[in-house]
Amino acid sequence: MSIRTKIMAWALAAGTALTALTALATPAATPAAVAAAPAAPAAEAKKASTSTADHSEFKELQKDFKEGPEVTKACLTCHTEAAKQVQHTKHWTWEFVNPQTDQKLGKKNIINNFCTSISSNQAFCTACHVGYGWKDEKFDFSKQESVDCVVCHDTTGKYRKLPGLAGHPAYQDTEFPPHSGKIVKAVDLKDVAQHVGKTSRATCGACHFYGGGGDAVKHGDLDSTLANPSKYLDVHMAKDGLNFTCGTCHATSSHKVPGSRYAPTAMDKESAHLRGKSDNSNPATCQSCHGNKPHPAKMAKLNEHTEKIACQTCHIPEFARGIATKMSWDWSTAGKMKDGKPFTSKDSAGRNSYDSKKGDFSWEKDVIPEYVWFNGKVDYTLRETKLDPSKVVKINTMNGSPDDGKSLIWPMKVFRGKQPYDKVSSTLLIPHTYGPDDDTSFWSNFDWEKSLTAGQKSVDGSYSGQFGFVSTEMSWPITHMVAPKGDALTCAQCHSENGRLKDVKGIYMPGRGDNNRMLDMAGWALALLTLLGVIAHGAGRIYMSNRKG
Amino acid sequence: MLKILGGFVLGLIFIAFVGYIMAPGLMFHERVSPYGLEETVARIQQNIESTGNGWSLSGLRNPAKAVQSDGSNTLPVLMIEACSTKYSAPILKDDSVRYLSILMPCKISVYKKNDGKTYIGNMNAGLMGRMFGPMVGEVISHVAADQAKFLEFDPNKPAPQMKVGTPGGGGAAGGAGAGGGGC
Repeated sequence: MSIRTKIMAWALAAGTALTALTALATPAATPAAVAAAPAAPAAEAKKASTSTADHSEFKELQKDFKEGPEVTKACLTCHTEAAKQVQHTKHWTWEFVNPQTDQKLGKKNIINNFCTSISSNQAFCTACHVGYGWKDEKFDFSKQESVDCVVCHDTTGKYRKLPGLAGHPAYQDTEFPPHSGKIVKAVDLKDVAQHVGKTSRATCGACHFYGGGGDAVKHGDLDSTLANPSKYLDVHMAKDGLNFTCGTCHATSSHKVPGSRYAPTAMDKESAHLRGKSDNSNPATCQSCHGNKPHPAKMAKLNEHTEKIACQTCHIPEFARGIATKMSWDWSTAGKMKDGKPFTSKDSAGRNSYDSKKGDFSWEKDVIPEYVWFNGKVDYTLRETKLDPSKVVKINTMNGSPDDGKSLIWPMKVFRGKQPYDKVSSTLLIPHTYGPDDDTSFWSNFDWEKSLTAGQKSVDGSYSGQFGFVSTEMSWPITHMVAPKGDALTCAQCHSENGRLKDVKGIYMPGRGDNNRMLDMAGWALALLTLLGVIAHGAGRIYMSNRKG
Repeated sequence: MLKILGGFVLGLIFIAFVGYIMAPGLMFHERVSPYGLEETVARIQQNIESTGNGWSLSGLRNPAKAVQSDGSNTLPVLMIEACSTKYSAPILKDDSVRYLSILMPCKISVYKKNDGKTYIGNMNAGLMGRMFGPMVGEVISHVAADQAKFLEFDPNKPAPQMKVGTPGGGGAAGGAGAGGGGC
């Protein structure tokens, strides 16, 4: 045996002995370490369902369904009240009468400054309706089998409703977007029906992340990055944190989902919700969990701030922190052609900045909100509302003031655009955009005259024949994408010249630089007098103690 | 005599104080960009590539990504890195000033601040160069002249595409490499 071989043999023997000794010395450590280790992602993925029913066992669901309504009929054999409940919700009616203003709102009625209106474009827009078959004004809202159960309760991630199919999923392999070469596979309704469950970030997000015609277009604080967010993006929904679904806050009862952009709860004076206590207030507010004095006693000053400032103002310092959100949409430039054909172009970040079908866009990431007083009352510019084309038209006006006792300072996404209006009647107009089989839709023939005539006709509205484009803006209260507490706004971000709240009037803010000089002087005088008082008092005590000594 | 000495010391202290206050403003420049974050980056990148003198892009870093990975947020910051061997080579060849390689590649930072505006930050290369002898001063004076061209924007030019990759490694995700681009 050579020296080299001997050394190797000794090393091997020593290593084996050391391993054996280590194993003998720590017999209990291995199981303990396993028990203390964080759950593996795979184990989390295979987490046992807490449901008491396995839907794949149900005979009603073991059929080869041809269309969505057949699935709904099967669902209703057990869930007898479900469709009736859904039919009383905004998700079904797309209508909402605001009790504060009596305005008839909802997607069915309002004109926004994104895709503008669903009227005459239903087949496209109702890809986000919880129903099947709403393609025109004749849709029967009373048919229970037209309710789409699986769009909210699918757990497979394979159920997708495509624009243009009037709320139906693709029953056969379909090229989407048209002429893109991308194929959306036909839905397996049997598989989907057998794997239903609670709503999820994915099911809610399938529509709410894509509102306005694409990912991150409309809201600014809701986009596809929230489907699986990290902690920096949303402390509540973080996949490695609290892992909330939408339904955790928007606690649903009888299919009614609390939380509304038409009549938001701007100030929640109720205390945190308690189990067992009857509480009819909105469960989706911050206060419903955190109460009205959420900061520890040593930060009492912050609790005083909650009387004037919405939680979201400090705790959502920026929105669209995952991907950029659309910030403007100018319909007036739509219809341009390149070599006789419609075209698209991109901005510096590779996002769509122009589309012949829609006009010019701008996008922004990490957007600093605009701040306004808001008391929850929202007035809309509706189809019949007279507007002043020389001014920027507010699609929705957020009411509020520092003095009404109902307002807080809220962060907003303000979406700006230009859209068609009637020059004679001074009202907003509805463009008929989608309609591959007709010659009046804008996306087919790029003719505003025909498009507006058809759009107005769909609602029996008048149209003078003279149109222009008016500047508009629409505000969206920001309430999702709550940042970690360490990222909340610092004092100086507001209490400084050109700070975040520089445009919020009607409130005294130290450090902002636009305050009443007399008040500032009085404040400083009081501080100085206090200091002098403390010094005099201390000096007096020292003098007296020396005299006694 | 004591008065003169006292006055001299006071003068020194005053100059040191003024220098301390003014140094950041002298060493670094900051200006508001007329464009958004990505477009500012894209236009600077385009200028760098069209300046000549051997300039090329070394990378684009996104330090905010690393902060996000740590579970926190910061307003966006993008750092454009550029290099020219025409200017880096003489410095890298000279042992006495090779430590100045820590200033390479040349960086221009584009970031958003709390007022929502996009800012451009860069080092005052001309001033820095004068501190390190005639050879470095000469080289850096050319760098400073080119750097000024990087930040001249032509609004008549359409917005170019931002280049997110890092030649030679790293990249917009905040990676480590910056080996390409001539340095």
